[in-house]
Amino acid sequence: MAWSRKSAMFAALAIALYLLGLVLRNQQLVTVAVVLLSFLTYAAFRTTHADVASSGRRIDDAEADAGIQLQTIVAMRKLSSARVFEDGEIDVVLRIQNRSTLSKVLEVRDRVPEVMRIKKGANYVLMELGGRKETEIAYTIEAPLRGFYTIGPVCVRVQDAFGLFHNEREIHLYDDFLVFPKMEDIKDALIKSRVPKIFTGAVNIRNPGEGTNFYNLREYIPGDPMKKVNWKAWARSGKMMVNEFERDAVSDIILIIDSRGISETGPVSRNSLVYSTRAAASLAQYFLSRRDSVGLVTYGDEIVSVDRDTGKKQLYVILTKLAGAMAKGNTPLKVVTNRILPHINRGSPIIIMSPLEDDPTIMDAVRDLRARNFDVTILSPSSLEFEFDARRLDRTGYEVLKTERDILISELRGLGANVMDWEPDMMLVTALAGARGF
Amino acid sequence: MADAPKVEGASDTAHLYEGKTIRSSAPSRKKAAGRLKSSTEIPVDAIPEIHVPSWIESFFGGPIVSSMKFLPANNTVSTLQMASGGVLILLTFLTFVITPVTGTAWFSLANAVGIPILGGILHIVILAVGAVGGIYGIFQRDQRALLISYVALILVTLRFAGSKVEFGLNLLPEGEIAQKFLLILYALFLVMYFELTSGIIRFSMLDTSIRTGEVYVMGEGKIIRQYHRAIGITPLVAGAVALLTLLINLIVPAIVGIFDSVQAARLSESVELTSVYGVALGTAFVFTIIAGAFAINLPLRIQQMQEGRSN
Repeated sequence: MAWSRKSAMFAALAIALYLLGLVLRNQQLVTVAVVLLSFLTYAAFRTTHADVASSGRRIDDAEADAGIQLQTIVAMRKLSSARVFEDGEIDVVLRIQNRSTLSKVLEVRDRVPEVMRIKKGANYVLMELGGRKETEIAYTIEAPLRGFYTIGPVCVRVQDAFGLFHNEREIHLYDDFLVFPKMEDIKDALIKSRVPKIFTGAVNIRNPGEGTNFYNLREYIPGDPMKKVNWKAWARSGKMMVNEFERDAVSDIILIIDSRGISETGPVSRNSLVYSTRAAASLAQYFLSRRDSVGLVTYGDEIVSVDRDTGKKQLYVILTKLAGAMAKGNTPLKVVTNRILPHINRGSPIIIMSPLEDDPTIMDAVRDLRARNFDVTILSPSSLEFEFDARRLDRTGYEVLKTERDILISELRGLGANVMDWEPDMMLVTALAGARGF
Repeated sequence: MADAPKVEGASDTAHLYEGKTIRSSAPSRKKAAGRLKSSTEIPVDAIPEIHVPSWIESFFGGPIVSSMKFLPANNTVSTLQMASGGVLILLTFLTFVITPVTGTAWFSLANAVGIPILGGILHIVILAVGAVGGIYGIFQRDQRALLISYVALILVTLRFAGSKVEFGLNLLPEGEIAQKFLLILYALFLVMYFELTSGIIRFSMLDTSIRTGEVYVMGEGKIIRQYHRAIGITPLVAGAVALLTLLINLIVPAIVGIFDSVQAARLSESVELTSVYGVALGTAFVFTIIAGAFAINLPLRIQQMQEGRSN
């Protein structure tokens, strides 16, 4: 049984008045004190007292000491979904059963993660629950941010009518759910690999082969099918010419996410890491839908990678990793590239999502990638913009840092990387198009 | 205070910023350099908003009175306000009639400065502060005013009484039992005043939470009925216990009288037993019995018995 602040104040007042009454020999004060103490005692009596020491119970029986009023309460919870995307909703139904024959007035609070918003209903209910009855508490939560979350425990409280004492118990009922980053629909990422793989796919790679997009004209070689003959070109040049097409193939796409501590600079829901994970999720979905093989690397305090693979299962593996990406540590990009370069095919497109801050190895890392003929695209959500929008950076500071950032981006472009200074409100498709120079 | 951060297109996550610190990792040195100004003045937004608790808040572990704004009173709150107002008027009257100015600090002070009437005026003023503060607190639902009223109503009773029960008006009963009944009635009104006024704040908070969707209430009528029942029963029980305690100077001689009438007569004439120390003895007796009931876990056993019976 726990005391509320009110009961503590009442008790303190009663004791003070009692002692003062004795000192001043004032029966009036003593009477008030006695009435106050009687009032408190009766309220405590009604709240069901269960003291371990006084009842001589063993400490192992502490569960029973939560009071008989709470032992008979049972909770069960059901979620509408265990996986949602950002801004998605989850319906929660909490069933509370009173297995006792006596009616109870209960306060029930189903603990939801702090960032979640209650969209409909309430997770905090004050109720009168009759004997051997059950009730359902239904509410809807909205998940605004990616991550792993847990609903629970269920806190049940019984208190006296005056709010002086209460018995409280946590029912250890937990339900986990996952919030994936929000995805944007990408129509064309404009990223093509120069490295063919043996399987044909939906992606044009910049090599001649079987495909649908025109690549170039060449002279006829015996064995070429007649349907490839370009009659107009033959007539014009006098030589038998055939059309060549770009080879459609599966390519390896590597997504690298910077999840260092610095990537979370800015507001909780508007920072580089949030944008990067959303971009990575959208790109992964897009490439996987083209039957590409997509791999993911996140680096912060450690390097976490998801091996390249294809298919819907791979999308969920990537989304799960993205949901759990935490802004921690300060691993340089160079360490990441050194670690992964031996394992990826030369020429594969690499998309790096990083705020490009506080990492002196960025230039070296990109130079290395370019030297090995990787097609490097850098999407850089600008934390300067987040900070400036949140008015945490003054105009002068912003201008200086912006200039420094522009210089770095120009240098990276000079190495042949496609870099986009991604401003907060720019759509991913636009940012990608900008990065590729369209 | 710095302006709230302007965040465009963040309607879906706007609630995340309410009352929360915007998180950020350590700023880079470059950024720090960018922020550096020639003046050494600390930017306003660089100072986090911290609520420094007052000494009294620190003492009690938090704010004593919340500054929550309530929505207009609902039926329950209005009823409680009316009841509290009635109890306060009766309490003020009872306090006035049973609390003489003699023995109070202001009475001594007024006599010392040679203006005896000042003591009486001060006495009335303190009582008026208690009453007016209480009425204001009840109808404005202002916890500070209620707190002032509590203090004033207790302060006015602080007097050296020399174990005698004295009343402010001479027309009050002389009989011991009647006097004690009157004292208990006064004490009950005081406690009920505390309870009803705190009930106003509690139910206003609950009502505001219900209407803002923070809390959902199932069976509101039954919960309020339970409170009303408790308001009716608890003072009766508390009054009965207090009566037992105060009448110990009659109960003890009556019990002893079964065995020895002479001793009983001596006890009934004992100055100690009829004084405030007799009340202390009574308190010790009664509350030892109550402590015993708690020690054997009687409330739990009663409830188990009730459950068993209904099974």
